[in-house]
Amino acid sequence: MFTNSGVFIMYKILEKKEIAMRNTWYKIYAPHVAKKVQPGQFVIVRAFPNGERIPLTPIMWDREEGWIVLVAFTKGKTTMKMAMELKEGDEILNVAGPLGNPAPMEKFGKILAIGAYVGIAEVYPIAKAWQEIGNDVTTLHVTFEPMVILKDYFEKAVSRHIVEPVKIDQEKSFQENTKNVTKALTAKVKELLDNENWDLVFMVGPPGDQKAVFEVVKKYGIPMKVDLHPIMVDGTGMCGACRVTVGGEVKFACVDGPEFDAYLVDWDELIHRVGFYSKLEKLALEKYMEELKAKGVI
Amino acid sequence: MPKLIKERVPTPERPVEERIKDFDEVNLGYTWELALKEAERCLQCPVEYAPCIKGCPVNINIPGFIKALRENKDNPRKAVKEALRVIWACNSLPAITGRVCPQEDQCEGACVVGKVGDPVNIGKLERFVADYARQHGIDDELLMEEIKNIKKNGKKVAVIGAGPAGLTCAAELAKMGYDVTIYEALHEPGGVLAYGIPEFRLPKEILRKELKKLSILGVKIKTDHIVGRTVTIPELLKEYDAIFIGTGAGTPKLLKIPGINLNGIYSANEFLTRINLMKAYKFPEYDTPIIVGKRVIVIGAGNTAMDAARSALRLGAEVIIAYRRGEEDMTARIEEVQHAKEEGVKFMFFVNPVEFIGDENGRVKAVKFEKMKPLEERDSRGKRKIIGTGEYVTVETDTVVIAIGQTPNRIIWKTTPGLKVRENGTIVVDENLMTSIPGVFAGGDAIRGEATVILAMGDGRKAAKAIHEYLSKKSA
Repeated sequence: MFTNSGVFIMYKILEKKEIAMRNTWYKIYAPHVAKKVQPGQFVIVRAFPNGERIPLTPIMWDREEGWIVLVAFTKGKTTMKMAMELKEGDEILNVAGPLGNPAPMEKFGKILAIGAYVGIAEVYPIAKAWQEIGNDVTTLHVTFEPMVILKDYFEKAVSRHIVEPVKIDQEKSFQENTKNVTKALTAKVKELLDNENWDLVFMVGPPGDQKAVFEVVKKYGIPMKVDLHPIMVDGTGMCGACRVTVGGEVKFACVDGPEFDAYLVDWDELIHRVGFYSKLEKLALEKYMEELKAKGVI
Repeated sequence: MPKLIKERVPTPERPVEERIKDFDEVNLGYTWELALKEAERCLQCPVEYAPCIKGCPVNINIPGFIKALRENKDNPRKAVKEALRVIWACNSLPAITGRVCPQEDQCEGACVVGKVGDPVNIGKLERFVADYARQHGIDDELLMEEIKNIKKNGKKVAVIGAGPAGLTCAAELAKMGYDVTIYEALHEPGGVLAYGIPEFRLPKEILRKELKKLSILGVKIKTDHIVGRTVTIPELLKEYDAIFIGTGAGTPKLLKIPGINLNGIYSANEFLTRINLMKAYKFPEYDTPIIVGKRVIVIGAGNTAMDAARSALRLGAEVIIAYRRGEEDMTARIEEVQHAKEEGVKFMFFVNPVEFIGDENGRVKAVKFEKMKPLEERDSRGKRKIIGTGEYVTVETDTVVIAIGQTPNRIIWKTTPGLKVRENGTIVVDENLMTSIPGVFAGGDAIRGEATVILAMGDGRKAAKAIHEYLSKKSA
């Protein structure tokens, strides 16, 4: 932000660590967000001068000390560059927020809260708060074996935390491997729904996996909520990049969501939209990797 | 009788074949010599009568600043300083308004010379004064003189939104001695000047320099703060003596027709934000991507549509503007329509989109339009009404930009109990621009729906005066 001398005040990285393979934990000084954020809300971060704006979710915060914790999965250029180049003590250019609507804090009863991959980080503040107001929350984390995160935190926060680690088959492509995660996810959800009674299912993860889980849940007729992850630019409702069709109506995930009723979401449309820039995303990442190689970093 | 020169002195422009390859400014503006020559055409109507002043939404003393140029022929530095002093009395951002105002509907539309020839080129003269002053450090000199006269009054005002309305309100209040803080949601201040208007009309360098003046005046800008989420109006009222809401009309209207969410369909706001604010046209040097296919159809015919069309053209696409009314009904500035035509943007008139058709991958591949025809009857804005003919035409495309208008953002009034808004989301204000909450004022597109930069600036100025009166009365 500008001060009266025209200088930028940035957001300091108080702590940075790799908590699992391709998962980086950033504790950032951002008192304006820490003071207000509620479970379910997100921030938009711009880390570099030529950088893009990306949505991330505060998973913990201290209102007095003014910090928030973000966990980013290294997926493309921006998250890779953040993981490679940002150090403790550095500053992030912009942290805007909190954005989006808070998750509803109601007594639903027995809740199954699912996180695929890094999605579990986003589940954490919501599941914790639901448990605190008297819900009986079971959390389920399905991811690759070396990517298990936040296990201790969950075990302290909710009734039961289940981790389903999926082995990475080095012989197969990443794409093939993700299919195994989807399989493990749907199988475990089916098992849990078969053996116990649930009042609500909640899930955060890639839209393809959200859809796959929803296909299972819907057979049981259990209410299901999802946090959607469409492409975002401003995150304040001024562009509609994040628009989704919910119950036949166009909604902006950044102001109307991010949480929606899974039964009303147009899943195929969301999956198409999320992949729109994949070629350019790949190109940006490749160029960055070349840069790193040229510098001798990798 | 004053001698009347019918033809205006033209401003140099970059040739089409050169300018469509980049995003640099198209119009190069007057030199001192050309500006002086154009200034000589002004008939110097008396200030109390001059129609140009009445035509200007902030009532700049136009003959006055032109006179300052003419009376100091041998000393351009002095000429520009005196002219800028006159302009600043009413308008803090002349480098911007000189570039983006629809002068043909305002000052120049009213100029008497225009009755028999070309009106005086007031916009370009205003721009010249601001540019010359900036290039020669004259604006800083004048600013330092002004700052000496500011007496701090110890009162605090919060301004929400760093667009034209908020920036103007903040500048005026700072000059009156208030301690002003602007809250801005995006990472750069400027509002539509930063994310909406492209470099080729308003170089961002000029915007930044104009904004630097605000920081010299002592105005603080807090970016990344979304009022309604980061902090609410009731909370701000505890800390500040008054509030000005200048949050604009930034939510895009989207067509409620099948296929609206296909890939390749952008709102103009998203398209222009990626280009202007995020510099996606420099991808991968800048990280934000944009996808423009071989053919782009822009729907709408206002300034936003022209900006989107000309930006798409610069990214190498063939561009068609599709408008449901006729050529004479277009609301864009004449200069921009002219520029768009020169650059090769094509126009389709009397066509109304009814469906977007997609391919098997969810990407748009064509737009189906209904052909329209005009009626003799006119609507409330004086435009001919149109009706569908029942005939259809389908045009293939791979990118669509929707530029059919904007409405106010919902966040602000959804999170402010007691703030009266109309059904269309615009904030209700009284004749002093005060909202239903005492001490909270509003202006610009937030109260008007989408209008112009200069009307927003006029509101900002008026609100600053009203806030000053309100706080003076309150403390008396």
